[in-house]
This record gives sequence, structure tokens and C-alpha cells, in this order.
Amino acid sequence: MTEPVPEPSGEWQRLHPLSPLLRGGVVLLAILGYAASQLFDNFLSSFGFGDIVLDGAPADDTGGGDPFEQAVAHPLLALVVLAVFLGLIALVNWVTWRFARFRVGGGQVELRQGVLFRQHRQVRLERVQAVELSRPLLARALRLARVVVQSAGGSDSTLTLSFLDLGRAEALREHLLELAGRTDEASLVPAEAVGPEGSLTSSLPRPDAEGAPRPDAEGAPLPHAPLPHAPLRPVLEVPNGRLFVATILHGSTIVLGALVLFGLIGAGVRSVGPLALAGIPALLPVALGIGWGRVKELLTHGNFHLAQAGTAVRVQEGLTDLRTTTIPFHRIQALELVQPLWWRPVGWWRIRVNVAGSGSQGEGEGQRETTLLPVGTLDDARLVLSVVAPGVPAAAWDGAVLGDGPDPAWRGQTARARWLDPLSWRRNAWSDVTSAVLLRTGRLTRRAVAVPHARIQSLTVSQGWLESRLGLATVHVIPAPGPVSPVLAHLDTARAEVFLAEVCERARSARRRSEPTRAPLAPDPSGLVDWSRHPQGTPEPERP
Amino acid sequence: MADPTSVTPTRPNAVTLRGGHLPWRPVSPMLARVRLITLGIVLLPLVVATVVVGLLVTRWVLLGTLALVLLGGWVAWLIGRQVSAISWVELDEEIVIRKGRLFRSLVSVPYGRLQYVDIQSGPLARANGIASCEIHTASPESGGSLPGLPVAEAEALRSRLAARGEAQRAGL
Repeated sequence: MTEPVPEPSGEWQRLHPLSPLLRGGVVLLAILGYAASQLFDNFLSSFGFGDIVLDGAPADDTGGGDPFEQAVAHPLLALVVLAVFLGLIALVNWVTWRFARFRVGGGQVELRQGVLFRQHRQVRLERVQAVELSRPLLARALRLARVVVQSAGGSDSTLTLSFLDLGRAEALREHLLELAGRTDEASLVPAEAVGPEGSLTSSLPRPDAEGAPRPDAEGAPLPHAPLPHAPLRPVLEVPNGRLFVATILHGSTIVLGALVLFGLIGAGVRSVGPLALAGIPALLPVALGIGWGRVKELLTHGNFHLAQAGTAVRVQEGLTDLRTTTIPFHRIQALELVQPLWWRPVGWWRIRVNVAGSGSQGEGEGQRETTLLPVGTLDDARLVLSVVAPGVPAAAWDGAVLGDGPDPAWRGQTARARWLDPLSWRRNAWSDVTSAVLLRTGRLTRRAVAVPHARIQSLTVSQGWLESRLGLATVHVIPAPGPVSPVLAHLDTARAEVFLAEVCERARSARRRSEPTRAPLAPDPSGLVDWSRHPQGTPEPERP
Repeated sequence: MADPTSVTPTRPNAVTLRGGHLPWRPVSPMLARVRLITLGIVLLPLVVATVVVGLLVTRWVLLGTLALVLLGGWVAWLIGRQVSAISWVELDEEIVIRKGRLFRSLVSVPYGRLQYVDIQSGPLARANGIASCEIHTASPESGGSLPGLPVAEAEALRSRLAARGEAQRAGL
């Protein structure tokens, strides 16, 4: 499959010719397989082998009354039907492929597709939240990849280019991220840590994580020259063994295990034995459901690698569907460290983040949370945090993660809340650091959440009837949607109001700080591309 | 680290869950009327039906009528309380909406975070000259809705919000 002549950036480009095949891949294979087996049966029977195939049945019945089967019964006719069928599929695929085109230019990515129902989707580059490379099993075999450009929006706010040649896909990702990265804003990362844009362009060779070809290896039309990559610095990887154990150590499996254990003990006791055995069929669907959930978790987060690429973090994971997600630091809307009760003995933590646009993904799998560390020790977690959130001092993180009891930096619940939070009222608290608000909650399942002040969407205080009686109130810090929903329950009402006032004030000043670099919005948002550098009006990839 | 001295005492113009010295604005009492009419539309056929059945079949069904009337009275009382509990204030950089009495909630949405503002009014609300104003941010959980504004005020609020949102817009 050869690509047409490399086109300059900004021109319409086509997807990989094999992509329609891959998109409909499994279904098509199933249909073809079914048709082939049917035809093969008929083929055999028409040569008189039918008696063997349909042992015992009268040979006359093979054709049946079905005119289609009769028509297909002739071997040549069968071949013709198969050929026409394949030709039709090829034609449809070819037409869809011809009509699906994309381009990157003018500060946006555009995708046009559809023959009867045309769709034209465009995403402005400054609205790009994250770029994901997804490689299902079949695509991996063919060295293809799907590029998912995530923007913040409703449920269907992604632009999916499936499929592209792997090298081209990687080049496109670099290109998009580099273009999108120019609208940097204040975030967890202090400005001096990010550095000027120059830091993005380093001439260090990029260690290739998966032995992939260089982006320019296969005539990738997008960049004319190798892009100035940010050096990819591996941060950590999660051994699959640990992930396996961590996956098993989950509330659902523990409950299930306990049930099975009781069942076995019960089965040993003669009097309740039959009863316990009778419960097994009822338990089976639940067990299957839990098992599937755990396997999916393992499949999603297997082979986990985390790397830093300039001002972005790159997550590579997946046992079968290998996905590479690149999240610019300033697109992290909220971050959560969580340690479920059953991970405490081994001291493991998980880090999840909210990135606008992902998490509400519809492509294939249901909810796709953005996990920066599926399971890791506290040191691993600290390492990840030092990369993605250097703006928050390590001491503050320690306080958030393990802290308990009175601490001048942390303000939280008072003894009044001990009726509602008997275990954790000393721990549930908040702290303001320079760039973010930190919440720590939970005594059994420990949680530490950071939301950059500049990313707070709104603040909510609520008070139920019981809370009202006790003079307590619950505050929610609301970032863009995702797996992390920061909440600090049962503060004294006056303290909740102080929280509201202070965090509001900090959010205000954070927004003001980020204002000068914000992208202008109306009428034509062109702040992304430095037009003085691209007088022709077409942004070109930077060259070293 | 946050310095512990930053504990600001509750200022006189602080946003509070109840009371407070800010110029909190109530919503139109027409909202209560609209809600009462809606309640009547729902309950009246039921009451009539139970009365008819009660007179024709068995008197016991009239107990149901009584229950419905009591329920209606209670909900009507609740509507009055709820509507009088909704208040809102426009600050320099946020709009704050308070709701509820038994279950209180307060949401503070910065103008810079507004994605879009919806003005809705059904036929009944329109007949009474009110509209509801819904505020949407990038997060579906964080929007606020402000029911029962006089139509002119809702329109004015929307244009004010749009103007301030544009002036103070912050990236996501």
C-alpha cells in the first residue's frame, strides 16, 4: 500500500488505505468466515461429498427449498458470488477511504468523512487536551495506529483518525502537541519549571520506546524533516507482576473470595453443605462479571510505561490494545492519589488525573480514566508527582498523603464532625499551596487530591439536614469532569465559608495570572500560531 | 506551603450559606405561582378521579382524596419555602446562587468559566413573565440554574454574563 506523493502540511491527506478494513475488521472477518464456510460446504456437497458432510441426512436436502442456496450450490456460481461480494466490500471500503480526509493547518485539525452523511469535524489546536495513539491488536500487526485528538466538550468531542501508518501517526502526534503546546498557561507547573518554548526543541535523539520507526522513515508527508522532539525521558514502568497482584487486591475480588471461602467451609459442614452448593450458580454471573472487570483492568494497564516528553507526560499502556496518551502538564485539571484499604499492607498507591475530553470517551471501551500510575509504591508516586506537579512541594504531598492530626498547614474538620466521620475527622483537611488546593480525606481508603487554582471551574457548598443541625457543611471543588471529584465533607459552616472565600480568591488571581497567555477567542482564534513566523498563513512544523 | 496566617476572618461581605450582608436578590414570586399551578395541574385530575370513584363505588376512596389534599397542601407550603430560599448575587468575578432550606446548596461560578448560558421558559412560565437562566461551565456538575427571573431581567443577566465572561475568560 503506497501513499500518494507526500503532500505539504496544510493539504488534505488521506487515511491509510487499509483502515476501513481494520475498522470493520472483526465483523468483516466474521462475515467472510461464515460465508466461506457456507460456500465450502456447498462446494463439497455439489461434488457429491455432501453425504459425507451431512452424514445420515438425505443428499437431496442439502439444497433445501432455499433458492439462494440452490443458486450457490454450483461451485462456479459460488465462486462468482464470493468474488462479487468481496468486490462490493472492496468498493465500499475504497469509497469510504476516498471520502475520508484530514488536514492540519490554519490552527486546527479537520476531518471530513462520509459519502451519504457527510461529517466535517474540526478541532482548534489550542483546544486540544490530549493526543492518544491507540493500536489494537490487528493494527499492531499491520503497523498502523489510530490517532485520537481529545478536546474538551460534550460526550463526543474527540476527533479520531483511524488508521494511519505508525510513523505518520507518531509524527502527527508530535506535530499536534508541539503546535498545541504553544498556548501554555499557568498550572501545577510553575513557569520557570516549564521554561520557554525553546526547551521543547532539543536535538537529543529520542529513545524509541517500542522500536518504532523514526517518524520520517516511511515518507510521512506531514513533517518534511524530523521534528524537533522533546527528549523522551522514561520516568517509570510498572511491572506486570505487581499490577497483577494489585488487580487481584480489589474490593470486589476480596468480597468474592470471602464468599467462596465461606461457601467452602459451609460445604464442609454436612448440614449446610447442600445449601452452599446451591448458591454456586447464583454466584457464577457475579463472579464472571468481577473476573471480566479485573481482566479488563489488567489488559488496560498492562505494560505500563510513563515518560516525560518536555512539558508533557506520555503514558503507554495496554496488553493487547497498546495505547499511548500524551497529556501536556497544563491540561491536567485535577490529580488524585488514592490508596484503597487493601493496598495499605503493601503500601501501594494509584494516581489518576482529570483531563478534559478523555474519560468521557465513546470509542470502543466505555469509561477510560486517565491513570498516571496504576499501582506503585509511595516512592513511585512521589516520582510521578515530581514530574507532573513540581509546583506542589514534596512536603505538602507528604502531608496530604500520610498526614493526620493537627498541622498548621492543614485546616479541616473539627471535633464537631466526629459523629459523621468517626475515623477520619482528624485527617480530612485542606491546604493551599502556591498553585493548587490540596485536599486529604479518608482514613481507611486514603485520598489526596490536588486541583490547580487556575483549573477550578466552580465551587459548591452544600448542607444537608443533619449537617445543618450539627453546624457543618460540605464543599466541592469542581474541576473539568473526570474520575477525580474533589470533595471535603462536614467542615464547620464558618470554616466552609472561609474555604470558599479563600479558594475563590486564589482561583481569581490564578485566572488573572493566566490571562496574558490565554488564547484569544473571538472572532477568529488565531493566537495559537505565530503568524509573523508563517506569513503565508499556513503553519509549518518547526525545524531545528 | 500555605501559611497558617492566611486564615482570613469572615469578612462582612463574605459569601455565606445563610444570611450575610451581600445584596442577595430573590427570584420572582411568580415562580411560586407557576409551580403551584403545575402542582394543581398534576393533582386536580387525581383528586377529581378519587372523588368520583369515592362517590360511585366506595366511600373509602375518599381517604385517598384526603391524603392527596394533604400532600398538595404540604407541597404547596414547600414550594413557598423553596422559592423564597432561592437567592443570587453577582460579585465582581463570580455569580453565586443559593438554594434550599432543608438541604442548602450554594454554587459559585466565575464568569471566566462560563461556556454558555441558556434561557428557557415554558408556556406557563411565559404567561407569567418569567424565565429560567441556566449557567453551564466545562463541567456538567458545576452549572447553576436560576429559575424564576422576570424575562427582561433574565435577558439582561444573560448579556451581562456573556460580556463579563468574554472579558474575564480563562482557558480551560
